[in-house]
Amino acid sequence: MNKVASWSEEEVSLWLTDQGLQEYSEPLRNYDGPALLSLTTDDFKRSPLSRVMSDGGRLLLEKIETLKIEHHIDVHKNGHANGHMVLNHNGNAGSAGKAHRNGVVNGFHKELVQIPIPEPSSPQFPPEWGKTAVALVYALCCFVLTTVIISVVHERVPPKEASPPLPDKFFDFFDRVEWAFTICEINGMILIVLWIIQLSLLKHKSIVGRRFFFIVGTLYLYRCITMYITTLPVPGMHFKCSPKLYGDWESQMRRVMKMIAGGGLTITGSHNMCGDYLYSGHTVMLTLTYLFTKEYSPRRFWWYHWGCWALCAIGVFCILLAHDHYTIDVAVAYFITTRLFWWYHTMANQQALKETSQTNFFTHVWWYRFFRYLESNVLAVVPRSYQKPFSWRSLHWGHVKYTRIDSD
Amino acid sequence: MASSDHQGNKDPTNTDGTPSPGTSCPVHSHAAEEAKRNSLRKALVRHRDYVKISVPEGKGNRLPSEWWKTFIALFYAVLNLVLTTVIITVVHERVPPKESSPPLPDKFFDYIDRVQWAFTVTEVNGMVLVSIWSIQLLFHRYKAIIARRYFFLLGTLYMYRCITMYVTTLPVPGMHMVCAPKLQGDSQAKLQRVLQLLSGGGLSITGSHLLCGDFLYSGHTVILTLTYLFLKEYSPRSFWWYHLLCWLTAAVGAVCILVAHEHYSVDVVVAYFITTRLFYWYHTMANLQTLKCSPNNYLTHTWWNPVFNFFERNIQTQVPCSFCWPITWPPACLKNPCKKYSMVQ
Repeated sequence: MNKVASWSEEEVSLWLTDQGLQEYSEPLRNYDGPALLSLTTDDFKRSPLSRVMSDGGRLLLEKIETLKIEHHIDVHKNGHANGHMVLNHNGNAGSAGKAHRNGVVNGFHKELVQIPIPEPSSPQFPPEWGKTAVALVYALCCFVLTTVIISVVHERVPPKEASPPLPDKFFDFFDRVEWAFTICEINGMILIVLWIIQLSLLKHKSIVGRRFFFIVGTLYLYRCITMYITTLPVPGMHFKCSPKLYGDWESQMRRVMKMIAGGGLTITGSHNMCGDYLYSGHTVMLTLTYLFTKEYSPRRFWWYHWGCWALCAIGVFCILLAHDHYTIDVAVAYFITTRLFWWYHTMANQQALKETSQTNFFTHVWWYRFFRYLESNVLAVVPRSYQKPFSWRSLHWGHVKYTRIDSD
Repeated sequence: MASSDHQGNKDPTNTDGTPSPGTSCPVHSHAAEEAKRNSLRKALVRHRDYVKISVPEGKGNRLPSEWWKTFIALFYAVLNLVLTTVIITVVHERVPPKESSPPLPDKFFDYIDRVQWAFTVTEVNGMVLVSIWSIQLLFHRYKAIIARRYFFLLGTLYMYRCITMYVTTLPVPGMHMVCAPKLQGDSQAKLQRVLQLLSGGGLSITGSHLLCGDFLYSGHTVILTLTYLFLKEYSPRSFWWYHLLCWLTAAVGAVCILVAHEHYSVDVVVAYFITTRLFYWYHTMANLQTLKCSPNNYLTHTWWNPVFNFFERNIQTQVPCSFCWPITWPPACLKNPCKKYSMVQ
């Protein structure tokens, strides 16, 4: 091969075509060998070279590097095989025999083997805030639907005189404690605040937030269905249900607004409507926030996990103690929440489960398509890494211990 | 060597997350391989001129029958059925009388009035499905494994049902229901009722179901749904007409429960949900070998995971669909592949 330094413009153009880069022939038509060798990345930032390919000229520069190496070997004829051998001026290279022009010593070949270096893989956890927004809208829709259904069901609750509270095993053993429901709601609020703080500290908050909104929305949607189809009577005679508004849409809308504004909590005085018993929304929120805080916090914070578990358990116990829900409501809520959480996360963490196949029944759930949409670009387990929420530099100050399971 | 044997048996579709072999994975235990190697070593000591060529385990038996596990599962199911019957008898005493606690408002009942013979249709459908399933099970080659799964799921669903029935007692769904009188504390008569219920299989047709209070959730729906799911899963994929017929039978049966006003809508919905989720969960865990040992598998957080491991530890592949004559007459087990081998399998 001729030395690159002596190439003319035609030879450069031929070489470009040979390498499959004929698109560069036009902008580089006035470049000869030395000019080609002197190309740098800055040249590719300006037009016309910046417009040829989107990689900033990387591919071409790599090939030029290869050429330079060949050029370099050409120049140092005997040089590189066994260190730099001193060339004998007479042309006799001593024990190595006749020096080859190509610098081949002891079988060192001149053809270069290009070792393809894989590109650094694209980030495995693209934020995709758009999808998180979709999940948030879905959750809000489900909340609003739940509130509307509660106000509809309220009209159908049988009065407590006509339909007394159903027999319940827990109520047989434990009498009602009046302030217990306040404890439950306070615990719920603490857990939610903790979860929001934790979410804002997570690095991949968009992905985790998306998951939370989707699961919460789906649980409330299921709750709409179970509340609507069969109406249970009030669990205790202590209930003060608002009077029924037979068909008065305006007042009903006002009630819905009031409930949404108050978050459906009794503490805020927004929850005067009856009939939303099967299944318990309070249990759902307590259990779900506990599961999420445990899942996305460092493994070694066992005291934190235990604290949250205690908050959740006490909250659930207090719901029953206050005789505000039947035991069946709480049991079903716990079951559905845990199963949905585990199902979703197992599907999200195993690539094998994201594809439909004969053996994979997980894809038979109705929300599978939505799940694919949300999780299609998340290709691995979301690592637990943290960063300050509003810093302009993302620092990884919460270092995760590198164990076999954690992978960051 | 143990690890190479181990890898020979692993499912080829290995994805990320599997720990290295030899760690505490309940499925791949090395006890069997150890025993084999020890006996082989002893034999070798006697014949020192042999050169040992380690051949990987090969097919082995990836689907061992292990009838004793099936009997344990059967025992578990029977135990839960008996427990359910006892709980029904107990709950019956606590059902509020229909005069003081009228039937709860139900959306389905608002739209559809009661049809008297509908419940008979449900029970007939249920019996038909169960008999077809028994025949299919009898002719299946791997009946031990499948029966084990069926009994385990049935037992667990009935156990959950015990819990939900017991904690809260719903009133009767309709004024038409005739409940047997309450026996306040008469244990012997209660025992008699339990036996009567068991012998009649809990069906109204046989006249054994006069007890009220077992509403949440519906056992009839559980049987219909579970039997349909099993029928569909363990029959040839190309028998779409068969699957459709079974689906119709199950669906008509479930709807007729509501039409007969024998259960609330929420009972049927919850029963369907719990049955399908449990079935899918169990079978996905059983079919995907990588899940059994994966650390990212939240499915192991269920309480029945150790029982699952016990039953499915030695099953290393998905149960194929092949049938044979039930009585193992020597040339009888024709390996009859009933699926076309396509790229998917």
